[in-house]
Amino acid sequence: MAHAHSVKRHKGLMDWLTTVDHKKIAILYLLAGGLFFGIGGIEAVLIRLQLIKPMNDFVSAQTFNELITMHGTTMIFLGVMPVIFALMNAVIPLQIGARDVAFPFLNSLGFWTFLFGGILLNLSWIMGGAPDAGWTAYTPLSTTTYSTTHGVDFYTVGLQIAGLGTLIGGINFLATIITMRAPGMSFMRMPMFTWTSFITSAMILFAFPAITVGLVLLSFDRILGANFFEVANGGNPVLWQHIFWIFGHPEVYILILPAFGVISEVIPTFARKRLFGYSSMVFATILIAFLGFMVWAHHMFTTGLGPVANALFSIATMLIAVPTGIKIFNWLFTMWGGQIRFTSPNLFAIGFIPTFVMGGVTGVMLASAPADFQFHDTYFVVAHFHYVIVGGLVSGLLSGLHYWWPKMFGRMLNESLGKLSFWFFIIGFHLTFFVQHFLGLMGMQRRVFTYLPNQGFDTLNMVSTIGAILMGIGILIFLINAIVTATKPKGVADDPWEDGRTLEWAIPSPPPEYNFKQIPLVRGIDALWKEKMAGNKGMTPAEPLGPIHMPSPTILPFVMSVGIFIAGLGFMFSKEQFSNSFMSLIFNNWIVVIIGLLITFGSMLLRSLYDDHGWHIEVDELDEEGVKA
Amino acid sequence: MSTADHQANHDVVKHSERHEGPQKHIIVFIFSIILTAIAFAAVSAGGVNAAFTVILLLVMAVLQVLVQLGYWMHLKDRGHLMPILFMIGGFFVAGTAIVTALYWVWW
Repeated sequence: MAHAHSVKRHKGLMDWLTTVDHKKIAILYLLAGGLFFGIGGIEAVLIRLQLIKPMNDFVSAQTFNELITMHGTTMIFLGVMPVIFALMNAVIPLQIGARDVAFPFLNSLGFWTFLFGGILLNLSWIMGGAPDAGWTAYTPLSTTTYSTTHGVDFYTVGLQIAGLGTLIGGINFLATIITMRAPGMSFMRMPMFTWTSFITSAMILFAFPAITVGLVLLSFDRILGANFFEVANGGNPVLWQHIFWIFGHPEVYILILPAFGVISEVIPTFARKRLFGYSSMVFATILIAFLGFMVWAHHMFTTGLGPVANALFSIATMLIAVPTGIKIFNWLFTMWGGQIRFTSPNLFAIGFIPTFVMGGVTGVMLASAPADFQFHDTYFVVAHFHYVIVGGLVSGLLSGLHYWWPKMFGRMLNESLGKLSFWFFIIGFHLTFFVQHFLGLMGMQRRVFTYLPNQGFDTLNMVSTIGAILMGIGILIFLINAIVTATKPKGVADDPWEDGRTLEWAIPSPPPEYNFKQIPLVRGIDALWKEKMAGNKGMTPAEPLGPIHMPSPTILPFVMSVGIFIAGLGFMFSKEQFSNSFMSLIFNNWIVVIIGLLITFGSMLLRSLYDDHGWHIEVDELDEEGVKA
Repeated sequence: MSTADHQANHDVVKHSERHEGPQKHIIVFIFSIILTAIAFAAVSAGGVNAAFTVILLLVMAVLQVLVQLGYWMHLKDRGHLMPILFMIGGFFVAGTAIVTALYWVWW
């Protein structure tokens, strides 16, 4: 047996910086996403504290603008996206019976570019002011004429770098799901979470190029003096809105589809029934993705698109309620007649359904163009999108985290704390956002930093802020739960919920680094459940026991991302007037950019020239580890 | 397994049974050149009606793309369903955006 390739095993911090193991990258995504989610949450609480009473002066108008911009941007791009990627990384290779993702190196690169993009964006707080043009960065407000600090530059460059990571991740999961499914796992036997992640990845592939182009145009306008959005020189500011929403609307489906997937896993498990209407679920997911690309202009009804465009986009938008309704009914029918256990993941999943329906209903209301002229830019819109993103997506993610936590970390989260955090979260959530519908209908605009007393806004805003604090307590309880659990010893069963249906529950928790000692043979939908019902003790292997080929750990993705980060900073400040002559020398002559790009392209060159064939875990090592597991 | 991998790399499979040989590729190559030649000729001839030239160029371009994708990128062969689906998806998304922006929406 050739045993030529030995591998350098790293320990401690170096292990995390160099890992290409999807399970460890999942934990990195979770930590980084959790950190940014915390920052975005603090910004949210500050926003609500400012709005707790009329004419409040808790923060200034400028700070308020920065807070709302950073809250939206951070939560969407740096908070929930990475937590989605955390779940996808942790679960998908296990669910399809694979030993890793298709491109482990790219997986690591995607994480590090995301992290450095996020850090760059948040550096704006301490480097001369955060972006303040709203998370949509509409031109002309975001051009240098009206946004004079470097805030929006941090937005364009930071999101560009973070978006690179998302695009890389999306392509990686597409390739993984297409090429690495275990024998017997046809597309129509894939678990729903894998299906929705597959569709989400396809949407990332098609939607992210639009924001990439938009951010390039905007940063060229701002930094290099181009005129894409400058009316005086023949540019068109509405063009930005189109480009942003051609990306932005698919993006919200990119966010919600994995949550649909989580719910479709959790509800059957805890109802002890197979998912009702599996094939209609798949069909509905594809239809939502398809329609999601044809509705972007419903964000722009009031820009004057004309009646034809408004009508067509209205109808297209309302159509999305059909596949979404299919999903809702399928979940209800799955629970119907099941033996439901109200565990903490299931509570979040069951809480998701009515909450998401409410967000969907206001979505159909907003889809009606004439009514939208009334709702546009009011708190009604704020209530709507928080219902679908927080009540929907974040509930789904919390459900998924509680559900897969034992698989990711080998420890069960405390059930009592989990249920407590659920009740704080769901009550706080509805208290915060339900009243905002009425604030909007009464005429309170979004993005205003304060309001006059005695317009009927006072009590409802007070209620909303109290709700936000309760929701914050719910999240804090979850955090405490995670920390308390981390101190407990490992050692939960392979299938800790006892009713696991899919492949990830067939292997130890946490799984060994090669996941499956032998790739399993999939004999039907809900592969593990099928074996359980047939009275088998586990999966039937599809291959003999043999040495397992593993990818080598590498620091290159980290170094590449540092290079991009340096180049990004250099690009942002390339036209800055520095008082320090050394700074102007290195920044104004593009030296910083060149250094950054040299680091990145140098790493790429190194990666191309140095052949790394990976290494093998031999059969005898497998047996030793097998006993341990 | 690693030994097997290395061996597999060395004795690369030279001829599978279904391999078509170079004839088709030579024909396709000549066809591509003819398409290009027609396009150049149509422009350099000058006397032809401009609108007709534009349409002719577009037709030649579409044929060229199909030939390149089908033969040189192997999309006509088996096992390329996913790349085809995703390319159609990409064209659909980009096409929707462009057509809508040009013909539905007035600014």
